[in-house]
Amino acid sequence: MNIFENLRMAFSSIAANKMRSLLTMLGIIIGISAVITITTLGSTLRATIKNTLNSLGSNLMAVYIQQKNVDNYYDTVEIEWTDNDFISMEMIDGLLEKYPGEFQVANENPIGNATILNSKNKTVKMNIVGAYEGTLSFNAYKLIAGRNLSSGDIKGKKHTCIVSDIFVEQYFKEREEPVGYNLNISLENGIIQNFTIVGVYKYNSLSNGMGDRSTMRTPVYIPDTVADNLNGNYYPKTFYSVNFTYNAKYDANLLKAHLTEYFDEQYKANKNFGTEVISMEDQLKTIDMVINIVTLVITVIAAISLIVGGVGVMNIMLVSVTERTREIGIRKALGAKRRSIKQQFVTEAVIICLIGGVIGIIAGILNGELAGVIAGSIVSSSPEYGEILGDITVVPSVTAIVVSLVFSTLTGIFFGLYPASKAAKMNPIDALRYD
Amino acid sequence: MARTIIQMSNIIKRYYIGMPNELQILNGISIDIHEGEFVAIVGASGSGKSTLMNIIGALDKPTEGSYFLNGTDINRLSDKELSKIRNKEIGFVFQTFNLIPRTTALKNVELPMLYAGISRRERAKKAVKLLEMVDMQDRSTHKPNELSGGQKQRVAIARAMANDPSIILADEPTGALDSKTGRLVMDIFHRLHKQEGKTIVLITHSPELAEETERIITISDGSVISDVVKNPPKPVSLSKDERGTDAQ
Repeated sequence: MNIFENLRMAFSSIAANKMRSLLTMLGIIIGISAVITITTLGSTLRATIKNTLNSLGSNLMAVYIQQKNVDNYYDTVEIEWTDNDFISMEMIDGLLEKYPGEFQVANENPIGNATILNSKNKTVKMNIVGAYEGTLSFNAYKLIAGRNLSSGDIKGKKHTCIVSDIFVEQYFKEREEPVGYNLNISLENGIIQNFTIVGVYKYNSLSNGMGDRSTMRTPVYIPDTVADNLNGNYYPKTFYSVNFTYNAKYDANLLKAHLTEYFDEQYKANKNFGTEVISMEDQLKTIDMVINIVTLVITVIAAISLIVGGVGVMNIMLVSVTERTREIGIRKALGAKRRSIKQQFVTEAVIICLIGGVIGIIAGILNGELAGVIAGSIVSSSPEYGEILGDITVVPSVTAIVVSLVFSTLTGIFFGLYPASKAAKMNPIDALRYD
Repeated sequence: MARTIIQMSNIIKRYYIGMPNELQILNGISIDIHEGEFVAIVGASGSGKSTLMNIIGALDKPTEGSYFLNGTDINRLSDKELSKIRNKEIGFVFQTFNLIPRTTALKNVELPMLYAGISRRERAKKAVKLLEMVDMQDRSTHKPNELSGGQKQRVAIARAMANDPSIILADEPTGALDSKTGRLVMDIFHRLHKQEGKTIVLITHSPELAEETERIITISDGSVISDVVKNPPKPVSLSKDERGTDAQ
């Protein structure tokens, strides 16, 4: 008995009862489309968030201070901070010395707006931001000319700066070389300061919103030591939290362990405060976990729907077997073996489930697309989120599609087996006499 | 003497065995049917002829007694082997035609060959020939609901011949037909018998039909009450082309 004949018989039988077959498939369609919709949404969400986080800069870790022995936030009395509780520059220098080449400090310290007049006497606006070696890559900005701020610039309190390509367009004439140029910048408090441009970075509008390029205000990065002094702070620099970018050639878990170990040691003697290390990877994992839980819950619900759908298929197959008792009798009289009869009805059940599955998959993908379009229009109509989220691309989950097809087939086999073996076991004499 | 196709000895069939309503339908039937015979089994309804037909057709097994079909002991066969016997050795023709609905005449004729595992191309080729034999080649793509009773029965006969069985087992083949189409169907059986040398077992309650055959076995209350071999068989009205053959 060949498979093509079984398929031909299955399709002709399904076609003979179109409405009934469609209604039977409904449970399968709903179950599968629910799974595909949610997995499509899940993978889309995951991809979007990952894109967004990557555009904000990857390979990030942060150390921040946390009160020790906190079991319950509600019952804990907040302890006053003292200067010694903060992370000091010495601690950071010690870290960089202990693990050379692994970390770069990436903190930012915006100290205010500033202006400068260009050759056409037009005011060019900027933000002055105190920065470290890692600040550019923390923001996922790429250097396109010159060099980054060096530790020499920072330690030596050099009046150097890095400007954006947009600033270059606004301030310089075409073909003018910005690197090495001296800028006389007017700060908000009226002080005029002289900075030498050492590098130019490409301003990434995706992570900071769009604006008119000719009037946009972009950051000018200067050594944070200089920025602190301009801000009127001459005390030794301390931090509540320190951002690090790390060298991607190292394992993130190892680096996290280094950070944790180092700062635990530093704060061992401090009885009130300790530190905690978080990484971008951890954040991604948390998001993934949430998406996975939601997917799992929907999948369980969909599985219930599939079982209900499968029972529907079984019910209809039983009706079909009863209706076709005589046909089964004829086939047996003509020499059909039990196995042939069984195969015929199982094939029919599998085809019903597979057609349902395919319709469900298509419906699920369309649902996912629709949800993507709706989410996209919400995002693009709200400037706050538009800044954070990048483009939303709908990604149907291939795994989910394959699993759905396999599951539909299994449902067909499982729920078709009983009616099929009932048909196969029929006594040909009784079956032939059946009216 | 021709080869024995059916060899039944002392066949007993009981139902509800061991229960208070135990029922014995066949009381020790012994029949030998030889190759090339055209036999009628006659009996009133309730005589046990349907039960006998089911046993001959390997649809059922006797409670006691032995049955050899073409040398094979039917009692020893498994369900699977019985399927094979029905497929290869027996061509059923039913009163109610029993064609598979929603399936063309051609596919219906192909069905026994399908279960015999014959290739698609060969099946189609042979099915066309068989339909030509019963003069139904023009209706090969018609489905049973598009055919008249006589046409359906002709397709059914073509189907019965599909695997070139040892016997054609026809159960009241004209019972659902008017006399004219019934005649046509009987003519086909005669032609199969004469030209192809088919062994045909015709089960009927009609003495007139039985008279057309070579041998009449009469069943009553589960026993053979007479077994008459007529020699030579009574001439029958022949179909057109057979008359032509005779004229030569």
